[in-house]
Amino acid sequence: MSIVTVQLGQCGNQIGHEVFSALCSDSRGTHGLCSKTENQSYQDSCKERFFFEEQSAVPVARAVLVDMEPKVISQALARAASSGHWRYSSHSHFCQKQGSGNNWANGYCVHGPRHKEAIMDLVQREAERCDRLGGFFTIMSMAGGTGSGLGAFVTQCLRDAFPTSFILNHVIWPYGTGEVIVQNYNSVLTLSHLYHSSDALLVHENDVIHKICAQLLNIKQISFRDVNQVIAHQLGSVFQPAQPARGGSGYSRNPLGDLMETLVPHPEFRMLGLRNIPQMPESSLPYSTFSWPGLLKHLRQMLIANAPMEEGIDWQVRPPHPGSSIPSTSKALHFNTSIANLLILRGKDVHSVDLGSFQDPSLYTSWLKPQDAFNAWKTPRAFNKYEKSAALVSNSQVLLKPLDSIVGKAWNMFASKAYLHQYTKFGIQEEDFLDCFTTLEQVISSYTNL
Amino acid sequence: SLDFWKLLYVLLKQIHGGKWTESDAIGAQVSFVKWALWYHGYGRPQLQRLAADGSAGSRELLLAFSWLLHCPGLLQQLLARNRVQTGDGTSVCTCEDEVPESQEGPGEAGPEGSVDVRYLQWLHGRLRLQWCSLHAQHQEQCKLLHKIHLFTSGSHMDQNLGHFSVTEADLIRHPENYKQLLQLLESETMQLEAFLEWKQLEPVYWQWMETVLDDMAEEGKMCESQDAAVEKRRLPEVTSCCPWAAKLAGQMDRLSRDLLALQEQLHQLVAQRKAAWCEKVAAREELQKERFSAAARRAQESAELKLRGLPPLCAAQQSRMHGLCRLVLRNKQPASSMASGQCVAREAAAAASAAEVIRELRLREASLQRELQQLQQQCRTRLDGVAEGLEGVICISP
Repeated sequence: MSIVTVQLGQCGNQIGHEVFSALCSDSRGTHGLCSKTENQSYQDSCKERFFFEEQSAVPVARAVLVDMEPKVISQALARAASSGHWRYSSHSHFCQKQGSGNNWANGYCVHGPRHKEAIMDLVQREAERCDRLGGFFTIMSMAGGTGSGLGAFVTQCLRDAFPTSFILNHVIWPYGTGEVIVQNYNSVLTLSHLYHSSDALLVHENDVIHKICAQLLNIKQISFRDVNQVIAHQLGSVFQPAQPARGGSGYSRNPLGDLMETLVPHPEFRMLGLRNIPQMPESSLPYSTFSWPGLLKHLRQMLIANAPMEEGIDWQVRPPHPGSSIPSTSKALHFNTSIANLLILRGKDVHSVDLGSFQDPSLYTSWLKPQDAFNAWKTPRAFNKYEKSAALVSNSQVLLKPLDSIVGKAWNMFASKAYLHQYTKFGIQEEDFLDCFTTLEQVISSYTNL
Repeated sequence: SLDFWKLLYVLLKQIHGGKWTESDAIGAQVSFVKWALWYHGYGRPQLQRLAADGSAGSRELLLAFSWLLHCPGLLQQLLARNRVQTGDGTSVCTCEDEVPESQEGPGEAGPEGSVDVRYLQWLHGRLRLQWCSLHAQHQEQCKLLHKIHLFTSGSHMDQNLGHFSVTEADLIRHPENYKQLLQLLESETMQLEAFLEWKQLEPVYWQWMETVLDDMAEEGKMCESQDAAVEKRRLPEVTSCCPWAAKLAGQMDRLSRDLLALQEQLHQLVAQRKAAWCEKVAAREELQKERFSAAARRAQESAELKLRGLPPLCAAQQSRMHGLCRLVLRNKQPASSMASGQCVAREAAAAASAAEVIRELRLREASLQRELQQLQQQCRTRLDGVAEGLEGVICISP
């Protein structure tokens, strides 16, 4: 079954291109470390999910590219075509000449309705090309104008046009000290609108990825390309084929559905964080060995202590003792309570891994038992030259602090009515802002009271 | 009579689509048979009173068996169940299916058996997401079926169908699989031949059953007076082997209660209306005798017209064919190959067009939506009532 990717805005298109590159190069790679038949079915599954085979033999990405400026899209198209291993379809992009000026209201109220038909046409065409539509994966940043505003509008249109399809929004959280003054407004408006239309929000924080680049990958001059490649690697480790635990043999034919069902059935808890281990410069790979117990230990502590990567983890944080019915306020400080976790393991000896440490009930909230809350997918096929790698998609309090901080800052600006006229002149009124704040306060409160 | 119980058990299990094994306990078999017979409407109390270990009652079982042969058409149902399907089947009836036998327990029960509402929301969400996955799977199946039907159109020997089904297309690609299909068809043919043989010998069987019935009637007269008065129509006990039967019993109870309540209301309404009209009529009659009788005649005629108009409305609810139908792709334009008048008549007999089925399903969906909204409204008013009783609580309904 196939996933249709919708790349929105400058950030979305750059990341989308890196994602398809990573998927393609991993699929074609010879580092699989598994049998030929296994590799073949992995490749077939990856191809069915993300690419469309045309007679010209170069796979075509199942993607729709949308932006209000032509520059980034043409770069993405050119780079893909020059790779020689995959390309975008020449009829799947939509762009205009002017941008959105980092104004959410401009994207949502003006560009959205104006170009709705053209964009949805492209999406319909991609959807009809799939034998089985497995859902939509949209990539956007929260801070700008096109990705966030137009992205929220397009997500709503997707939901209206495909009421039973799965929609996963990949959202880029801006730098805390970002350049866009109104990024907090844009973020609040985007998150609250997405919460109503999409099934799940998978978040990557720029600050976190930046740290990974600096400390783990030792990159001196970090460019956007580096950041995007890390993000693409992490997304690839989630979306490449894997076998769900209870399914029979064979790669899952419903990855988005499986992911949603294990992580986001509850309508109030939709925010997902992603952690990936190990991450190191490619040059160090041949000299490193990994063991599953070591990787899982680090990953578990990363989850509990809310650490973004495997360095600088606070090992003092422990889950609360079971047996004592503690109300959430007196839980151990900084302990990250999870609602549900999905562990994806790729590589050698993956079937003998002991997952007991993740099935500890003290990791999870009181109303969900580990057999409901924890799931694992596995594949013996290694990913992207890492002999063993693990990814953790987690529905937990991991995004609580960033969310709280953004909402707080946005509220301060709103209370002093700063820059509001730029939004009201396009049609977003103060009541709309208040609704958004209410939605997000509700989300924050739900997550806090786990 | 143990063997007889077992025979009935196996046969009835097959009809109800369940699986059976050699090792099923005799107690379970006996209770299942009793339940199944009650479900089909066999009302003879002596059967329900038979011992649970299956040691006695072979004559009662014989009677039950004969009844099954006749009333629900046991043999015909068995034959229908075991038919070999070579076409792509789908069903168009909207009857609720029996609940399949595997039912997981609720799993979570906190102290005092309470369940956290967030867990219920979680489960509800999972159900919805699984339904979405199922929907996507169905759409894929439809798409692929359409492709196969389209690509093989014009190839089938039977002009009425015009294209291959999945099984037939698969046989073309893998001819070595014909052996399995042949075996299935041969066994079906054997069953049909056996049935035909039975049909020829049937009258002898019924003559014999008449003698059995006469014997029973004589014996019955002697010991009936004791239990006739006391015996009420007791329902057999609920057992775990037929959970659907409990559900059915519950539904029937609810239905009969609702019907009684409705009947009460109707009676009251009618009585009130009648009383009101009688007063009016009595008042007017004195004033305008002739004009009144003409008006009365007109009113009666219009009422009769309305009554005559009612049955078709109710009959429209009549369900269509049950069981499987074969999917056939038709072009929109009347193709030249469908020239023969015979073909058209045969097709029109037992076919349903997709458009009709869709229309009916939409009507049913609309009525179910209305029912859902009514139920939601009831829940809302109940919640409001509860919230009023609590202090300091404001209830905002979704």
